Amino acid sequence: MTQTLDLDERTSRLAARAAAAPASGSTAANASKFETFAITFGIALVILYTICERWNWPLFTYHPAIDRWDFLRQPGQPEDGPPMFWYGWVVLSGMGAFVLGLLATRVSVGWLQRATVFCCVLAALWPICFALAGIIDERASFNAEFLRSVWVDGIPALAGAAAVSSLVSAQWARRLWTGWLLIMPIGGLAILGYSLNTYFTR
Amino acid sequence: MDTLFGILSVPTFWKILLFIHFALAVALLATVTLQTAAALMPARRAAGPFIDRFRPVPAVSYATLIVILYVLQALMGAWIYIKYRTYVRIPMEGFRHWWTVGSFEFKEHVVTMGLALLPAYWYFWQQPSEEHASIRRWVTFFLAFTVWYSFVVGHVANDFRGVGS
Repeated sequence: MTQTLDLDERTSRLAARAAAAPASGSTAANASKFETFAITFGIALVILYTICERWNWPLFTYHPAIDRWDFLRQPGQPEDGPPMFWYGWVVLSGMGAFVLGLLATRVSVGWLQRATVFCCVLAALWPICFALAGIIDERASFNAEFLRSVWVDGIPALAGAAAVSSLVSAQWARRLWTGWLLIMPIGGLAILGYSLNTYFTR
Repeated sequence: MDTLFGILSVPTFWKILLFIHFALAVALLATVTLQTAAALMPARRAAGPFIDRFRPVPAVSYATLIVILYVLQALMGAWIYIKYRTYVRIPMEGFRHWWTVGSFEFKEHVVTMGLALLPAYWYFWQQPSEEHASIRRWVTFFLAFTVWYSFVVGHVANDFRGVGS
């Protein structure tokens, strides 16, 4: 067993040391840029991966039984064995998140934090609107099948996200920014976990 | 690979890979659990005589090791996943072990979410600040959850068809 030091004491000591040291401007700027990149990368990867999985958008498909790689989604013939899409989802969403992370280091922090609020609220509202549309379609006395279109459901989600991101104060956008790092993976796992319910209800 | 398969049989090769995957998982599980315990329940008093005999290790020093182990594990898992998809999952479906199949599918997503958080996790531990104290603690907890979940589900899948099954 290993005894661990008090985290708070340790971090405050390190923070005090960092403050006391005559850190160069470029080092501090690089750390800040990496922080921006890392947080944006984390949030973006979670959202993009959930989208890629749900819409089944792999960059490539692997057929393990015949050891063959295909570009984009290629389910192949039944005799080729089961296709594997996970690698393609991870690589596509990873590349997208990497590019977004780099772009994020080139915009102002205030703008980035507000844009993050917009994207995260949109990512949350869109599936909620889609689920609500399904309930309305089931219960409505009129033909509401058009509500099942993912693009129709995107309109209220976009309006909601625009409203929230324009109304939220800069202080709240800053406070929420790192919080999205936890909110989005939990939300993503909830969506992805629900999509697997057929395995658990058979 | 052909030279290697001249020495080892194909099932033995995959079993060795699976065992390395397991050994790395134990190392990752230990480090991430210790760090999470340190982050969530920091020791505020000197430990008792038994623990006193061990050298204290700061939680900060685990971060880089955890990132390296996590990435290595993800790569190993991605490699072994090929064998799982053809050699394990198909008979698993045949025996109607749907809960095991579903839990393993969910493991893919859990591991990916953990990978997404790794750069931020590493940064929060390398640049410790009061501002990020809370998010650092909970990101570490989330990573520990992904490791524990993957370990348990992987172990169940191994029991179905793997080393020693």
